[in-house]
Amino acid sequence: MQLLPQRSLPLALGALVLALSVGARGGDTPDRWWAPGEGRVLPAVLDYDNANGTLRTLVVGGPLKTKGHPFFEPLGPNGRACVTCHQPADAMSLSVASAQRQWERTGGKDPLFAAIDGSNCPTLPQQKRESHSLLLERGLFRIERPWPVRSFNGKPVTPDFTIEVVRDPNGCNSGVYGPAAGRISVYRRPRPVANMKYLLAVGFPYDPKQGYALPLDPDDGKPQSGNLMADNRAGNLRLQMEDAGSSHLGMLKRLTPAQRKRLQDFELRVFTAMQVSKAGGAVDSGGAKAGPARLRDSAPGALGSIGEPVWSEFKGWESIPPEEAARLTPEQLAFRQSVARGAKVFRDKTFLITDTAGINSRIGFGNPVRNSCVFCHNMSQMGNDVAPGQVDLGTTTLPFADPWADLPLFKVTCTGRPHPHYGRVIYTYDPGFALTSGKCADVGKITLQSMRGLSARAPYFSNGLAKDLRGVVDYYERRYSIGYTEQEKQDLVNLMSVL
Amino acid sequence: MKRLAVLAALYGCGSTQAAEAGDLVRFVACPVYRDTDSGKKSGCWLGDDRDTGMRWDVSQSPYKPDWNYAMLVEGRPSTDAAKPCGAPTLDPVRTSRLDTPCVQHMIPAEGFTGRKFVLPRRNIAPLSVTRPVPAGPYAERVFPVYFEFDKDFLVYQYDDWLVDNAVTWIRAAKPKRLIVTGFAATEPQVVSGVTLAERPEVAGERAEAIAETLRRLLPGIVMDVRSEPSAQPTDDAEADGLPWQSQRRVEIRALF
Ligand code: HEC
Ligand code: HEC
Repeated sequence: MQLLPQRSLPLALGALVLALSVGARGGDTPDRWWAPGEGRVLPAVLDYDNANGTLRTLVVGGPLKTKGHPFFEPLGPNGRACVTCHQPADAMSLSVASAQRQWERTGGKDPLFAAIDGSNCPTLPQQKRESHSLLLERGLFRIERPWPVRSFNGKPVTPDFTIEVVRDPNGCNSGVYGPAAGRISVYRRPRPVANMKYLLAVGFPYDPKQGYALPLDPDDGKPQSGNLMADNRAGNLRLQMEDAGSSHLGMLKRLTPAQRKRLQDFELRVFTAMQVSKAGGAVDSGGAKAGPARLRDSAPGALGSIGEPVWSEFKGWESIPPEEAARLTPEQLAFRQSVARGAKVFRDKTFLITDTAGINSRIGFGNPVRNSCVFCHNMSQMGNDVAPGQVDLGTTTLPFADPWADLPLFKVTCTGRPHPHYGRVIYTYDPGFALTSGKCADVGKITLQSMRGLSARAPYFSNGLAKDLRGVVDYYERRYSIGYTEQEKQDLVNLMSVL
Repeated sequence: MKRLAVLAALYGCGSTQAAEAGDLVRFVACPVYRDTDSGKKSGCWLGDDRDTGMRWDVSQSPYKPDWNYAMLVEGRPSTDAAKPCGAPTLDPVRTSRLDTPCVQHMIPAEGFTGRKFVLPRRNIAPLSVTRPVPAGPYAERVFPVYFEFDKDFLVYQYDDWLVDNAVTWIRAAKPKRLIVTGFAATEPQVVSGVTLAERPEVAGERAEAIAETLRRLLPGIVMDVRSEPSAQPTDDAEADGLPWQSQRRVEIRALF
């Protein structure tokens, strides 16, 4: 995988920010929604406000003219572009708030709501709001996966499980859809298209969770990071964009080599993170070193435990000198201290991780194993997993997943060895990585996302089960009976709000 | 014994650990998890040998137990008398997950500290760190890789390190071809009243798992993949003097 050419220049930040910040002001500034084919210029530095502060997006070598650019132009007949679901104001993902806003502004006519995957199922009456409830309430798109699993990295796979539909509330897993028709519908959040060099970085030559050396990229023969897509069905950006082109954009033709090159080049230039916290001020001030510029300038792929500890960006806020404290309001001071504590809770507060495939099996950590959030979220500066991050947190699989009557429920039966934790029969809303690997031991595994720009892109987890950051902490508390104090929960929320 | 000597020569080591088999311990038990807390990965694993009534600390295994399943414990009493988990320590030790279900059992720390995690000796450096080129002259050589009982899974911070060393050597030595042979310990043995034998198929599964890893690390290498379902013990040092561990292996043989 080619990364950015070295000519990526550090930006003259100060000058650009003033001139180019958009979205936060009223008047004749362009809307925060980037519609396909508008032909706006994407500034080198772009700020958008959200409830917790200001998110900043940097385009290395920018500004970028989006006119004619394949990420911003509708390439297929449904009027969508990549940017439709990967919005700068939403950390290059899509928040449920933005989906709702577009519904209100356009009476549900925005291409975002295209029947193919912007509705619960194309068979439903498309003008009705409730036919788009999964997108409007939880930010989910329908993802269609072939059944039986066809191939993983070019190799044919014979799945060691069968799959049946227990419940089909949206009609997209029966009739012309569903496993019997070779088309499984699952529902997932868009993942941020930013800070990509970290998601493509390879730390070690092995995938310790699968027990093999890393699979090789079919295009350049190099090891793959294994950190793209909830189910890792695309091992590199080319495979991913071809998948997106034919599914989300409804393209009938394939992307041309020139389009692919421009898409990839763009994807590797975008960095996004919170720049200013409403409660705590700039995240690169007072000794803190967070924000997107540092993300852009740092080397990707380092393991926090042997290098720069994860979220040590906020070490400077652990003990704020009196002269600095005097410049802050009591609220700002308290917030900064809370963020610094949150980073320590994230790294140091341990709990028992249990029955979590990818961690407690088959890799030999044992079940249970005592560790902290950083065990899985271990990459410096990003909080994704340095190793391929397919882990079954239980977010999509019973009994750990929350009850959702509006999601399909599948019954998976392992035909070879039973699943190490669930046994032979598994009930799941989304088998995740198993739909790529064909292994029942992988049912429910979802690739860890990065933790950047969270404030701009609620809800969280691949099926949107956590509606806000507190919901994330509450899920972990339920899942692992951690015993966080109220203060520790708030500290974690504050930390995540400034990433 | 002739075979042992030949293998020892090929492995390039002359360890005699396997010969001093007197104090080897082997039993089947449900694991007991002692919830000690000296930071990450500091919990303790204990197991009771039904035949002797001894409780052992088995926490030092490179592949650790699952509290929902019985484990096969294989080890040697440690010379270190400290009991951070509240029982004498087996070290070296292996704990293999068996398919027999167990009742989850967790006991409190009861004042024991457990062990603060230290990175095991067998850990690999990130890819960004260049491996030193192993010195020649290069001649036929065998690199063994070891497995959990009846499993084909590449063990983290054990097998990855063994394979990494092998691959670094192979990249430098450029052998003509590799023979990858999977072994299985299929001879039934009674342990704690349970008859245990590896499936013959696991020999082939192991060989294929390592062969796939080698195809990814050494694209284009010429490789023969074989299986040998009746494994004999060896005295290779990386099996830590545990004869059963030494049987459950794959051999990567480099030929010139
Ligand atoms: C209809 C909404 C939609 C459109 C349009 C769309 N995407 Fe996505 N994108 C998604 C969803 C949903 C996912 C997550 C899919 C999954 O995990 O299975 C995703 C994931 C990705 C990822 C993976 C990021 C990661 O961290 O794993 C990349 C890269 C990406 N999209 C790029 C693109 C490109 C390039 C285009 C245009 C060719 C595009 N997307 C168009 C919804 C969309
Ligand atoms: C056992 C591994 C593991 C541990 C420990 C862990 N996580 Fe996660 N985390 C995951 C996985 C896997 C996902 C993706 C799950 C999904 O999307 O359904 C995830 C996702 C997340 C996300 C969602 C990101 C997004 O883009 O939606 C956040 C936030 C998060 N984790 C925070 C935490 C916090 C805080 C802790 C400590 C309380 C923690 N994690 C501990 C594995 C882990």
